[in-house]
Amino acid sequence: MEVAATVVILTCTYALLAAGVVILYKAARVVNFAHGELAIVGGYVFYSASLGGESLWLAVVGAICFSVIMGVMIYMSMLRRLLGEPLHVAILVTIGIGIVLKSAILVIWRAERLTIDIGVAPAIRFAGGASLSYMDVASIAVTVLFFVALYFFLTFTRMGVQFRGTAENALLASQRGVNVNFVLSLAWVMAVFAASLSGTFFGSRAFLSTESVTIGLAGLVAALVGGLDSLRGAIMGALIVAGAQYLTVRLVDPVLSETVPFLLLLVVMSVRPWGLFGTLEELDRV
Amino acid sequence: MQKPYSLRTSYLESNEVFRRPYQKVLLALLLGFALLLPALASTYFVHLLDLCLLSSIGALGLMLLTGYCGQISLGHAAFLAVGAYSTVILNAHLGAAFVIVLPAAAVFGGLLGLIVGLPSLRFRGVYLAISTLAMHYAIIFLATKYQAEFGASATAGMTIPDPSFGLFVLSGDRPWYYFLLAVVSLTTIGCINLVRTRPGRAWMAIRDRDIAAQALGVNLARYKLLAFVTSSMLTSVSGSLLAYFTNVVTVEKYTLDLAIVYLAMIIVGGMGSILGALLGAFFITLLPFAIDALFGYLPRTWRFGSTLFGVQAGAVGICIIVFLLFEPKGLAEIWIRLQTYFERWPFRYRPLDTVRR
Repeated sequence: MEVAATVVILTCTYALLAAGVVILYKAARVVNFAHGELAIVGGYVFYSASLGGESLWLAVVGAICFSVIMGVMIYMSMLRRLLGEPLHVAILVTIGIGIVLKSAILVIWRAERLTIDIGVAPAIRFAGGASLSYMDVASIAVTVLFFVALYFFLTFTRMGVQFRGTAENALLASQRGVNVNFVLSLAWVMAVFAASLSGTFFGSRAFLSTESVTIGLAGLVAALVGGLDSLRGAIMGALIVAGAQYLTVRLVDPVLSETVPFLLLLVVMSVRPWGLFGTLEELDRV
Repeated sequence: MQKPYSLRTSYLESNEVFRRPYQKVLLALLLGFALLLPALASTYFVHLLDLCLLSSIGALGLMLLTGYCGQISLGHAAFLAVGAYSTVILNAHLGAAFVIVLPAAAVFGGLLGLIVGLPSLRFRGVYLAISTLAMHYAIIFLATKYQAEFGASATAGMTIPDPSFGLFVLSGDRPWYYFLLAVVSLTTIGCINLVRTRPGRAWMAIRDRDIAAQALGVNLARYKLLAFVTSSMLTSVSGSLLAYFTNVVTVEKYTLDLAIVYLAMIIVGGMGSILGALLGAFFITLLPFAIDALFGYLPRTWRFGSTLFGVQAGAVGICIIVFLLFEPKGLAEIWIRLQTYFERWPFRYRPLDTVRR
């Protein structure tokens, strides 16, 4: 039971990250290598905005402000100029953004290693003495809510239809009157918001530091395993990565924990390179 | 009669190394200056130049792979680690001499490059970048295991003695400077000749459009693997030399960030230019030291260790972004523009390929 709970919570963390990666890939055809950095900086902002664990609401407002500012800024100032450029240029730019964000942790938070201690009181106790905190329960609830809301947004709202249209063909969408810049900014905002939620949950169970940005790579791998253009795949991929990581750390060797997602990815890429739920023609293959 | 800027009228001209007569003079002046420099500069400055020259070799390797063949690699730190660890292993277990270790490191690097290059036959773009990332973590995991097994302690790393040729021991910054200058010059000449002959032309064709390249009769598999092998051999040699230079090898140094620093070198220098690789290597290597020096002027209360590290690391990221957005062809393009400006002076001449869309 404890194992299941741990894996589920880790899955939620990765699923939120992978969802962000998928949203960005679908909408803007960008693979974001700065996702872990965005998540961890989001976690730091959440902690700072809560005034050291005083106010949850301030923290949530802070995280939303962070996502909006960050998302719009990244898109409008950098990625917008790269529309139509080869894919790898955008990737290299996101790597650059990642470095800058990571150094922001060093400069603003002085590389302080901190744990978000909001809602750490146990909410559910298990027979074996293990327990889930309020934050853990919240992470599961928020993840489910996020995916359900995303589904309804994309399927039933006017904005969601414009979103899917842009993902399909940005040029045609803009000719039919869709404000592509707005849609893509919104995609970035959503992705950054999901990432900072994920960073917050990660920070409440483990800790935030410059080293923990590697969760972004795990999220990226989860998205790739599930298929870069599939939200369903993001959840499945996250579950597989989290499960594999947990089992390896427990049973084989803790040093492997960073390597496991990539070994898994190599296997998936050699068997089914477009991911479990991805579409075949999306793949950039020779 | 001087030829206009970028117009070539025969195929032979695209093979020329020196397109201007004065470039030979400039190169001779630069070499003379480089040879005299250690006599004039402080030991600290010579040390910095040593570091620049060391990273130049790695940057040239990455330039061949990414700048000329168009295959993005995030596994460059792993190849440096391969060079360093083959040096350690050959030294500690076999006691091999410098003249044996260096070629052996190149061979190991080349073999591993062949393996890492295999996915490039099936993937490109993002998928290839991520598969090299996977290789990075696999190699670093093995290195970590080796260090835990054979290192003095899990974190201390391994020491390597100074290299020796018979009786002559290579140590100290000034002897190293001359040695590295020779190595970098030879590597540069080799790279220039590679990229202006068949392999380089094949690589550029693959970079620009792989399907068209294949239609022209370029063997994609062979030339992609050749690019990976050449690049990783150079990088492995660079890693081996770096290990000899610093006398110590720890796995903590070979992070993903290091691979990104090398990518930053070729972006800042200018993709697809040998001169760019050298310029970028010098620029990015000197950047943290320049920031360190500037930090000395700040009020004391502002100087925190983590702030300095943060600004140093962040500057690399900002360089990547700024160059990609505003000067995608890098420092090499700035140099060409300067040359054109002075050649055309007092007239203005705007070459076709720098006109912005």
